[in-house]
Amino acid sequence: MSSTTLLKAQKVSKAFQGFWAVMGADFELSPGEIVGIIGPNGAGKSTFFNCLSGEMVPTSGSVIFRDTNVTRATPEQHARLGIGRTYQVPATFEDMTILDNVMVGAFLRRAHQADARKEAMQVLDFTGLGAQADHRAKSLGTPGRKRLEIARALATKPRLLLLDEALSGLTPLEIQQAIGLVRQIHQTGVTLVIVEHIMEVVLTLAQRVIVFNHGQIIATGRPEEIVNDPKVVDAYLGAGRKSRRFSARSGPNGRGA
Amino acid sequence: MRWPWVILGGALLVAPLTFQDPFYERMIALVLMWAVLASAWNIVGGYAGQVSFGHAIFFGVGAYVPLLVYTHWHGVPLLGIPVGIAVSVGIAAIVGMPTFRLRGHYFSMATIAVAELFRLLVTNWEFVGAARGLGGPAIGRTIWDLSYRSSVPYYYIFLVVLCLVLAFTCWMERTRMGYYLRAVKSGERAARSLGVSAPRYKLYAMIASAAFTSLGGSLYAVMLGFVDPDSVFGIMVSVQMVIMAALGGAGTLVGPLVGAALLIPLQTFANSLFGGEGSGLTFILYGGIIILLSRFEPGGLVEIWGRYMAWTGRKGRGE
Repeated sequence: MSSTTLLKAQKVSKAFQGFWAVMGADFELSPGEIVGIIGPNGAGKSTFFNCLSGEMVPTSGSVIFRDTNVTRATPEQHARLGIGRTYQVPATFEDMTILDNVMVGAFLRRAHQADARKEAMQVLDFTGLGAQADHRAKSLGTPGRKRLEIARALATKPRLLLLDEALSGLTPLEIQQAIGLVRQIHQTGVTLVIVEHIMEVVLTLAQRVIVFNHGQIIATGRPEEIVNDPKVVDAYLGAGRKSRRFSARSGPNGRGA
Repeated sequence: MRWPWVILGGALLVAPLTFQDPFYERMIALVLMWAVLASAWNIVGGYAGQVSFGHAIFFGVGAYVPLLVYTHWHGVPLLGIPVGIAVSVGIAAIVGMPTFRLRGHYFSMATIAVAELFRLLVTNWEFVGAARGLGGPAIGRTIWDLSYRSSVPYYYIFLVVLCLVLAFTCWMERTRMGYYLRAVKSGERAARSLGVSAPRYKLYAMIASAAFTSLGGSLYAVMLGFVDPDSVFGIMVSVQMVIMAALGGAGTLVGPLVGAALLIPLQTFANSLFGGEGSGLTFILYGGIIILLSRFEPGGLVEIWGRYMAWTGRKGRGE
């Protein structure tokens, strides 16, 4: 494994009772990159994402993170090694305060309550949630919850942050704010992998895009190459509509901003 | 927030002096004992959200071991307390490791099954008195037998133990373990993604909970001087712990105390008013509480109180 590789997935496959959701996916990630994973619904991108975060164990293949084989590692081992993640449907700790939510993440690197609180407050200020620290998580709307999930993952001090549709369900203004936040996170040196339906997000943020279809990676390249790739257009719009190019704001299956 | 605790502490210290009747003295001693048990259950059931219906195992082991020490070796029952705790902790670790892999109702059902297994085992094991049970010293031989006619000394013993459980819970709330347990309760999957080793922390909670439950069981046996399988290993022992914590507010420090303070007097008066039929009434009451809590207020009375205070606060500010 090259010293410039942060994460390497080799021939990763995942089957569910005979159905292959991911087939032989190869993927390399360099430190400091922002990589977008796109694909139609059911393409296998979330399953692949879950294999990277330890949520699922691949049926075959391997995942190496900073020279450590994490193929069969638990989600908590992934977090300890420096892989943070968010969920498509925010999984905030509803009855805990926003500060306490983030402190759970901060306790990974800080043993004492005062240190964890200080760390969590810094992350909350960074993510723009500082003023609401004492409110319960359930008082937040969707944008706030997505932001809280990012804050919670950041408190674990990840080297790699996996964002699973962290910006879906947001208004155009909220998307712009969230893009700004992701850029800020990137500037702190965190490497990012983004699974996203909203093309605008992927095209704006990602330096490299990977496209999944039917469980396989069908294309990889810079965003401007990807949008004009016939295989990608086929996957998204169907072979009979090749002439159409999807706009930056549209997503697969009519979803988008 | 310190004054309410000081007032409560003072009231608890002088309470036996205001009740000069053995009936009431015994009742308030039982209130404290159940407050200890519900608070102990609360560590794993309330904070970690692992609803165990098998805590009768730890209560029963704690109750049996001191009387076994007396019956077989004529030792001081007090010596059996640490042994009971050690055995309970061992059982908690052995039972906890496989059952914590189960989620929600499956975990609760597994704990019921294991508890019933223990009850049947003890009922048929001659060494531990089988279905007849075990007795302690009829008259105290030394002060260490802790054999008193009055319930007041037991009241103060339970008060000390309650302070211990609450001090532990208070400390736990402020540590990494407290945060992790609440996170696991709220969403184990998300907690694990933040580095929380859920099985390990659930096991810690179970072990701490088992130790305090066992201590409560030992003191109950010493106070009563007699135990049998149904009275200490029966499922109603576990159910009572769950109901008291849930009624007051599971996952809160004061919830189990509120639950015990309400339910034990209710149960005692129902039994004294209706005799043997009173116990049936207690079951109806428990059933009603379960239905009402799960339908309307899973947070218990503490949650209702918190909401009421927030409402009066808003009203006071004219919002």
